[in-house]
Amino acid sequence: MKNALTSRKLKEWRNGYLFILPSIIGFSVFVAYPLLSSIYYSLTEWSGYDKPRFVGLDNFKYMFSVDPAFWPSIRATFYYVLMSVPLSLFFGLCLAMLLNRGLPGIKWFRTIYYLPTVVPSIATLTLWLFIYQPQYGLANSLLRTLGLPEGTWLTSEKTALFSIVLIGLWQVGSGMIIFLSGLQSVPYELYEAAEVDGAPRWRVSLNITVPMITPILFLQLILGIIGAFQAFNQVQVLTGGGPNFSTSLLNFKIYQDAFNSKMFGYAIAEVWVLFFIIMIFTALTYRYSNRFVYYESDNAR
Amino acid sequence: MNARQGQAAGSRRGGSTVLQAIRFIVLCVGAVAMLFPLLWMVTIALKSNNEVFQIPPEWFPRELHWSNFVTGTREIHFWRTFGNSLVIAVLSVVGQVASSVLVGYGLARLHFPGRKLWFSFFVGSLMLPGFVGMIPLFNLYSNLGWYNTWLPIIVPAFFGNATFSFLFVQYLKTISVSFDEAAKIDGASDLYVLTKVLAPMAAPVIVTMVIFAFQGSWNQYLEPLIYIVDQKKWTLALAMASYKGTYATAWNLFMAADLIYILPMLLIFFFGQKFFMQGLGSVNSAGLK
Repeated sequence: MKNALTSRKLKEWRNGYLFILPSIIGFSVFVAYPLLSSIYYSLTEWSGYDKPRFVGLDNFKYMFSVDPAFWPSIRATFYYVLMSVPLSLFFGLCLAMLLNRGLPGIKWFRTIYYLPTVVPSIATLTLWLFIYQPQYGLANSLLRTLGLPEGTWLTSEKTALFSIVLIGLWQVGSGMIIFLSGLQSVPYELYEAAEVDGAPRWRVSLNITVPMITPILFLQLILGIIGAFQAFNQVQVLTGGGPNFSTSLLNFKIYQDAFNSKMFGYAIAEVWVLFFIIMIFTALTYRYSNRFVYYESDNAR
Repeated sequence: MNARQGQAAGSRRGGSTVLQAIRFIVLCVGAVAMLFPLLWMVTIALKSNNEVFQIPPEWFPRELHWSNFVTGTREIHFWRTFGNSLVIAVLSVVGQVASSVLVGYGLARLHFPGRKLWFSFFVGSLMLPGFVGMIPLFNLYSNLGWYNTWLPIIVPAFFGNATFSFLFVQYLKTISVSFDEAAKIDGASDLYVLTKVLAPMAAPVIVTMVIFAFQGSWNQYLEPLIYIVDQKKWTLALAMASYKGTYATAWNLFMAADLIYILPMLLIFFFGQKFFMQGLGSVNSAGLK
């Protein structure tokens, strides 16, 4: 009897590993191997064709003190993250709150607001390239029609980065849906209780709705930060990093250094710097989240 | 259940008519802003090239130039490129969904030592920025002779997608284990339980996975950009991105081609809207649990 039991158990162990085998291989080959090997590569000079040559910390020295494009690209990356993440969260949440309550045509509104996020990234970006075109583009045509001064959009270093952020706001729909499903799971009893107490509307929003969805806000914040630090397509399609490095996001610079300049070792060193920055941001968010994230029960985490 | 309650709660506290009206107007203005770029795109795609560059612009085309769709798609060798994208997308979808379902079942239903550890590895890998692996993997694939082929894009799809496995694990938690046990008493294997018993019950989450996997593949740009040089092997994303540079003068043709590129996603969206919303909703529950 005991033998039969252990053999059944062993079979389950074997089957367990067989079932998760794809991900074990995937994790080892596509995550662990590149991660570990890139620690070494970041300390080498490597063109991708020849053997990597160990150079110690030279890549980092060059990055921090010589490379004229490094600090501008750090600056652009920070500006981009600090603009795009809060703005998309804010608009996503506002839209979700507007769409949460009954209204004629509410389904249509949800569909329309979600629609732009279905458009593939490259189709969106090429479309906006034409929208921002100074002479015939939609943006300036519209401003002219309304009798307003024209915008410089992607052509000036003052406005280029913000113009890219604006495109992200056009695609705020997926965040909106995530917030919306969170809002709809706020227990009805809470609203009922507030109604009985005669709480004013704004207090209900501020003291019930917002605290109840802070866990979602937090998750969206973390994912938003990780995503924004990795923005690439926008720069590659729209600006190529210009004008004057104002949109040269770090991930784009890494791509260029690796695949255009064939400085693989250096690019990997930059990847590690970016990775490190993302980790610090995520850790800080986690740390300060306790102050504002509300969990229904303590063991829910 | 909860969702319905929340909505009911909302409509009852619908607020005064004035507030309702303001909300409606704000939403209308926003909706116009959302649709305007797409509508503009459609009008450009139907204009003649002279009309596009007219100042002051006319918002609507005087004649509808449907032929733009034919010419525009010819410019990017549409059928070839579309075929390439479709083959890649189908294989990626099959690979990702099949492997993630297997892995999800193993993690959710089978008990073996190290299960929790692997689970945290897989989920933890979601937090890693994707580009960390980019260069070492580029080197690996080049050494395998995979440069300028689709293999670096397709093969990894068959080794599990952490997000999808996680979604599937979460979904399986809502299905009682007694179904598995009943089948197993009848002598069913794990594979049978998964494919014949659980998969049909988990159909909604599987459809969601299929849709998101397709969308991911249709959007994919960086990997094809890095690996595929030969124009004959290009995907639609690559073709459109380079088309914008080469034919910057023929906006109408470009917009027509761009619309055709978007079309499959739009069709999927209109027929599978429910699954989009569900999928994004489950991102939530994934975060909360």
